[in-house]
Amino acid sequence: MKLGAFHLPLPTRAFLVLAGLFLFLKLLRPVIPGSVIVLYMGFVIAGIVIHVTLRDERMREFADFFIAESAGEPAAIRFQRWGLLAVIPLVIGWSVYDALRPTYAPPVEIFQRHPTVGEEILGSIKVPDWAAEPAKWNPEAIARGKVLYEANCAVCHGEKLDGQGPAAEGFRYPIRPANFQDAGTIAQLTLPYVYWRLTVGGIQNQFNSAMPRWTTPADDPEASTLHSYDFTADEAWKVIMYLYRATGYEPRR
Amino acid sequence: MGSTPAWVNRIVGVLVAGCLLVVAQCVYAQGLPAGPEYRSVLGMDSRLAVWIAAQLHLMFAAFVLAVPMFALFIEYLGWRVAKTNPREAQRYDWLAHEMARLLPAAYSLTAITGALLGFLLFTAYPKFMAYMTGIFGPTFVVYPLFFVAETLCLYLWYYTWDRLQGERKWLHLWLGLLLNVFGTIVMFIADAWATFMMTPAGVDQQGALISLYDAVWNPGWMPLNIHRLVANITFGALLCSAYAAYRFLIATREQDRALYDWMGYTGNLIALFTMLFLPFAGYYFGFELFAFSATYGVTLMGGVLSWLFIIQAIVIAVLFIGAAYYSWLGLLRIPGSEAQQRWSPVFNVALISGFVVWATPHTMAASIEESTGGFHPILGALGVMAPKMIAVTLVLVVLYASYLLYRRAGRETTVAWHRQGTTIQWSLVGLTALAITALGVYGYFAPAEVRIKTSIWQIIVLMIGIVATFALDLVLLRGARTVAEVRWGTLPRRGHYVLIMLAFVIVWLMALMGYARSGVRLNWHVYGILQDTSPGAGLPSLGEVAVIITAITFIFFVMLAAAFAISGLAKAPDAASGGDGRAPALAPSGEGA
Repeated sequence: MKLGAFHLPLPTRAFLVLAGLFLFLKLLRPVIPGSVIVLYMGFVIAGIVIHVTLRDERMREFADFFIAESAGEPAAIRFQRWGLLAVIPLVIGWSVYDALRPTYAPPVEIFQRHPTVGEEILGSIKVPDWAAEPAKWNPEAIARGKVLYEANCAVCHGEKLDGQGPAAEGFRYPIRPANFQDAGTIAQLTLPYVYWRLTVGGIQNQFNSAMPRWTTPADDPEASTLHSYDFTADEAWKVIMYLYRATGYEPRR
Repeated sequence: MGSTPAWVNRIVGVLVAGCLLVVAQCVYAQGLPAGPEYRSVLGMDSRLAVWIAAQLHLMFAAFVLAVPMFALFIEYLGWRVAKTNPREAQRYDWLAHEMARLLPAAYSLTAITGALLGFLLFTAYPKFMAYMTGIFGPTFVVYPLFFVAETLCLYLWYYTWDRLQGERKWLHLWLGLLLNVFGTIVMFIADAWATFMMTPAGVDQQGALISLYDAVWNPGWMPLNIHRLVANITFGALLCSAYAAYRFLIATREQDRALYDWMGYTGNLIALFTMLFLPFAGYYFGFELFAFSATYGVTLMGGVLSWLFIIQAIVIAVLFIGAAYYSWLGLLRIPGSEAQQRWSPVFNVALISGFVVWATPHTMAASIEESTGGFHPILGALGVMAPKMIAVTLVLVVLYASYLLYRRAGRETTVAWHRQGTTIQWSLVGLTALAITALGVYGYFAPAEVRIKTSIWQIIVLMIGIVATFALDLVLLRGARTVAEVRWGTLPRRGHYVLIMLAFVIVWLMALMGYARSGVRLNWHVYGILQDTSPGAGLPSLGEVAVIITAITFIFFVMLAAAFAISGLAKAPDAASGGDGRAPALAPSGEGA
C-alpha cells in the first residue's frame, strides 16, 4: 500500500487494523465487555495471520520488516519498525499487569440467563386448560393479569414491560430486571418454565437475581417477606398471559 | 501386507472379544439378581471412568465407521476408470488402501475400549444396566452378532486387497459395501440405546416396556443417526488428513510427498464437504430434543450448558477457518492461479466477520463496570438465532465460492458462452447469499415458530444454490484446457501443520459435544424415568469439563499413535517406498481428487 510516496509496510497495516478495531470496540457505547472484545480480537488476529501467511512473499515481507534493515531505507520505515517493536511488548506487558493487578471488583461471572431446572420440577407444573392455549385466552383474565402486573411487577419490569421500571435503576450487576420486550426472554420459554420462574423467582439463582418468589410455600409461610402480595396460582397464570399478550410474543411449545 | 499368522491372530482376538460380549450380554439379558444400585470399581469415580471409556470408544468407533465409507467410495472411483485410465485407477486404489491401512489397529482399539465401557457400565451401574437390558435385551444379543460380521468384513476387505484385484475387484467392492452396511447397523443399534436415555419412548410412565420398536425408534434416534453419520465422516477424514500430513512431513522422496499431499487434500475436501451439512444435522437433533422436552432447550441454550455452546461456536469457527485456510493455501500448488488468489483476502474477511457474529454470546460475561444489566443493545441483537443462522450459512456460501474458484485455477474454459455462463454462475451465488440474508432478517422479527421455518428455508436455498451453480460449473468446465498442472507435494509445510491441528480440534470438539449430549440429561440415567441417584450425579464445572475432555483428546491421540506405530512396524521393510510398497510409481496428476 502506498499513500503518495509514503509506503506503509505490512506489519504497520496489520497493527493499524488491530488497533483500529480494538479502539472501535472500546469506544462503542454501551460498553462492550472485555471478554467479548478478547473473543473478537482473537478472530481478527486469526484473520491477519491467515492473510499474512497465505503467500510466501507476504510472509517474507512481514519478517523482513523486522529483520532486514537496509542502509538506505527512509526514516519513516525505521520509525515504524522501532515503534512496533516498542509497542508490542508494552501492550503485552500492560495486559499482564491489568489481569494481575489487585482489584476489589467481584470476579467476572458467566451468567446463565435461564437457570436450569430439573424435569422433575418442570414436569410437575400443569398448565390449567384455560391458560394452555393462547388463542383461547380470556380477555378478562388478561385484564386481571394487567392489573396484577402493574400493581406488583411494573415497579421493576416497567409499565412497558421493557425492564425500565422506577426501581430498575437500583439493580445493575449482574443483571437488571428482565426486559420482556426482548426476544431473548419470554419468547424463548415455555409456559411451565415462565410460571416456575415467576413463582419461585430468583431463589434458584439467588446470588444473581433480586426477583422475589411470588408464591408462599405451603410448608414455610414466612418465607416470602420481600413483597406485600403473594399470587395464587391462577393469578400467576393471568400475569403470564398478560406478559405474552402485551408483548405480542407466543410461548414456546 | 502383513504375514498370515498376524492377521489371523487379530481376527481371532476380536472374534473372541465379540463372542465374550455376546455371552456376557445374554447372561445379563436373563435379568440381574437384586443388588446395590451403584458399585465402585477399584475405588474410581464411576462417572468419570465411564465418561472417559465411552468417549474413547465413540471416537475409535467413529473412525472405523467413517473411513471405510469414503475409502470404499475412492476405491470405487478407481475401479470405474480401471479400463480407460489404469494410472488413475492405480492412484485411487493406493489412496483407498492407504486410508484403509489405518483401520485394523484402530479397530482393535474400538473393541478394547468398547469392552472396557461395557465392563464399567455393568459393574458400576448394575441397576441401570439391568433396566436397559430389560428394555433392549434382544438388541444386546443382535448387536455383537453384527459387530462380529463387521469385523469379518473389515479384515477380509483389508487383507484381500491385493488378492482381489483385476477381474475380481467387484468382489472386493462388495466386501467393502457389506462392511459399511454392518458398521452402520452397529452404530444405529448403539444410537438407539443412547437416544432412549435422552428421549425415551415405547415405555409406560413407570418405565415398563410397551414396544421395543418405539423404544428403538424414539424421537432422538434418527436425528442422532444422521448427525453421527455425517460427523463421523468429517472426523475420519480429518484424522486421515492428519496422518497424511505427518507422512508428508517425514517423507524424504518427492513422490511420497506428492502422494501424501494429495491424500491430505482429499481428506480435507471430504471433511469440508460433510462439514457443510453438520450445523444443520446438529440443529435437527437439537430441534427434536426441544420438541421432546422444553427443559432440554432451556438447559442447552439458556441454562447450565449455554456457555458450552459459546465454546462450541468458537471451536467450530477454528475448524472451518483452518479448513478454509488450508484450501486457500492449496492455490499455491497451482502455477498461474494468481487471479484466484486475489480473492482469498475477500473470503478471509467474510469468513472472519461471519464467525464473529456466530460466536457472539447473547448473555455477556461482564465485570461490574461493564455490565449493562440486561442484553447489550448491539451484541444482544447479534447473539440470537436469526443473525447466527445468517452468519453460518453465509460462511458456507463463502467456502463453497472459494471451492468454485479453486476448480478454475490452472484451467481454461473452452465453451463459447463461458463469459455469460460465469456471470450467471456468480450472480446465482450472489442471489443465494442475498436470499439467505433476507430470510434471516425476516426471521429475526418473526415469532419463534416462523423463525425456525425460515432457518430451514435458508438451508434449502443454500442447497439449491450449490446444486444449480455446481451443475453449471460442470458444464462450463467440460473440455476445459489444463494450462497448469497441480504440483502435488509443493504445499508449504504450514499447510500440513494446519491439518494436524484440525485433527486435534475435531477430536476435542467431539469430546465436548459428547459431554453436552450426555450432560443435558442432568440427573437422569433415562430422562424422566430412571433417576441418577449416585454420588457423582452432578454436572462438573465448565473448567473441569475442559480439563477432562483435553485429557481424553490426548489419551486418544496417544493410543492412536501407538496403534499406528505398531502397525507401521510390520511395514518397516517397505518404508522406503512410501509406507507399504504399494505407492504408485507416478505422482497424482494435476486434476486433483
